[in-house]
Amino acid sequence: MIVAGIDVGSTATKGVLLHADGRILGRALVPTGANVVRAAERAFQEALRTAGIEDWEVCFIVGTGYGRYKVQFGHAQITEISCHAKGAQFLMPGTRTVLDIGGQDTKAIKVGEAGEVLDFCMNDKCAAGTGRFLEAAAGVLGLDLAEIGDVSLRSRDPLRVTNVCTVFVESEIVSHLAKGRKVEDILRGVHNAIAARSLALLRRVGYEPGLAFTGGVSRNRGMVRALEERLGSPVHASEDSPFMGAIGAALYARERAEHAAAPGKA
Amino acid sequence: MALYQDLGRNLQKDLLAKWYGDLALANERKEPVAYLFVSGNVEELLQAYGFHLVYPEINALQCGIKKAAGGFIQKAEEAGYSSDVCGYVKNDVGIALAGGKWPLGNLPKPDLLVCTYAGCTTYMKWFEALAQHFECPLFVLDVPFVRDEDVPAADIAYVVTQLRELSVLCQAVTGRTLSEERLRELVRLSAEAEDLWVRVLEMAKRRPSPLDGFFEAVFFMAPINVLRGTPECVAYYEGVLREMEERVSLGIGPIPEEKFRVVLEGPPPWPHFRAFWDLFKRWGVTCVASTYPRVGGIWDWGMRHDPERPWESIATHAMNGYTNWNLARRQAMMRRFVAEYHADALVLHSVKSCRAFSMGMADTRELFLREDRLPALFIESDLADPRYFSEAQLRTRVDAFFEALEHRRSARV
Repeated sequence: MIVAGIDVGSTATKGVLLHADGRILGRALVPTGANVVRAAERAFQEALRTAGIEDWEVCFIVGTGYGRYKVQFGHAQITEISCHAKGAQFLMPGTRTVLDIGGQDTKAIKVGEAGEVLDFCMNDKCAAGTGRFLEAAAGVLGLDLAEIGDVSLRSRDPLRVTNVCTVFVESEIVSHLAKGRKVEDILRGVHNAIAARSLALLRRVGYEPGLAFTGGVSRNRGMVRALEERLGSPVHASEDSPFMGAIGAALYARERAEHAAAPGKA
Repeated sequence: MALYQDLGRNLQKDLLAKWYGDLALANERKEPVAYLFVSGNVEELLQAYGFHLVYPEINALQCGIKKAAGGFIQKAEEAGYSSDVCGYVKNDVGIALAGGKWPLGNLPKPDLLVCTYAGCTTYMKWFEALAQHFECPLFVLDVPFVRDEDVPAADIAYVVTQLRELSVLCQAVTGRTLSEERLRELVRLSAEAEDLWVRVLEMAKRRPSPLDGFFEAVFFMAPINVLRGTPECVAYYEGVLREMEERVSLGIGPIPEEKFRVVLEGPPPWPHFRAFWDLFKRWGVTCVASTYPRVGGIWDWGMRHDPERPWESIATHAMNGYTNWNLARRQAMMRRFVAEYHADALVLHSVKSCRAFSMGMADTRELFLREDRLPALFIESDLADPRYFSEAQLRTRVDAFFEALEHRRSARV
């Protein structure tokens, strides 16, 4: 039995194919863009292609993320909060807290032993301190989003960046550049500012070691390091982390499919 | 057969339409008009002088629900009001700047402004602005905040003294003298309506609840806040009570199947009322009790207007509106609601406009999570400004919260 999870985020749409035995068979990441329905379709097709599987072989699909209701071929919709919790507990057993930093929001999730959500907190309406903030910082420095984390790790004298506003960060960075500060020190400051803000969210749900870092920003090694320094404990992130929402959605799809096959069981 | 179906909603609309109709003609008929606030209002005294009463907050929320708030708010911002000023204030100032023309016709100019700044200092600035605009006398009733467990007798005496001063001013403005007999009658009718209103609210203690103690109660609460002291108000709550009793006998509720019972803290987002309710309806959620219908007055635990002590009971009422209570009292009230109305969770809706309401909500959430082990959801938007509402973000939070509650429930079974 094969199931799928499609996570339609504000910036990227992720698709994951999962075998009933828990193996990840295929995955894909495409930019969401303006056509959300199309993005979901493309992520699914791309995942099928990487796995060498035909669409009719997939028996249950769960949509998640902001565009979960736009996954028109999906059989159920579940929020990304539940899905990240589920996925993290599956891939990183012993997870107590999940930090998901995506394109437009940051979520701190407290997770139970079965991957259930015990509590969660999100950033308020603006995109301060999210992936979009890093993108703005990279943009003003003329760097690629993928490289700023590594650049920040070269810093010897991190700057104190107090502003996590996605709009005002640009003028703050420009003023530091004008003062002759090094790019890596500025970037380290930017990463530290996000880490501090994330820590505040984590504390609100009651942080406990065993942190799974998920979402698009979890690919950024500078961010992982900044979080570890703040927390004083290891942060778990892997190449699966950006796909955690889709993985969790696929796990829910597996549960639902099994339940449909044997209704008395669950 | 359902004899009373939708009576509460329809009769409310009729009563308000008649009230606004009378207001529109008040200036023309040369009848006195007073503006005042909802919270702990002193309408019995003003009615005894024959004032027509205008409640700027109610006008603002009417604009919100009729999708007309945005334009008025913008008008006020064009006149220099900051984006951080309360949406109700800007909406009302916008109406004044538009010469009183608004979606329900015409609002009369005031002859007197009575500012009861219970729990909100913005009120005072709001009415100062109106006093300047209308060139009209402003009376500030200094209502002490409820700071401790009990309301000191000295506080009540302090408010009574001011009410006597207000009475003198009313006499000067209207040229009429006060009939203590008439005041007692108004107060008696208020108490009668308050009894009935509490009985309506308490119907939600039943399982399943015939009433949504937030989404319906915020409509049903209008007469108790603005038409107290009238026989129509008493008749209205008799009718609503019958409607609720009938719902129980017919097995009807506000939603087809009650799955979750919550207590809701905070005001509704009026410009997106329906979308907001739908977020909860989809999960089979009934709000069994809420704090917003207690903004005007908290009658749940015995406080009543009293014809034997009209002045003192008006003063006591003036202090006992929800936002005039300290945080500990508010939290104790929510705790009582959770226990007495058998709630599964607490939902806190913080609004940008109203600090008097939203202050302490994060602490309240902590308190219920840690000490009561009660699931609590925190969400944000605004009560008046349509721009501060993000449906997708709210939906993710609400959905995730009830997904978790559902999971917990199925794991327990």
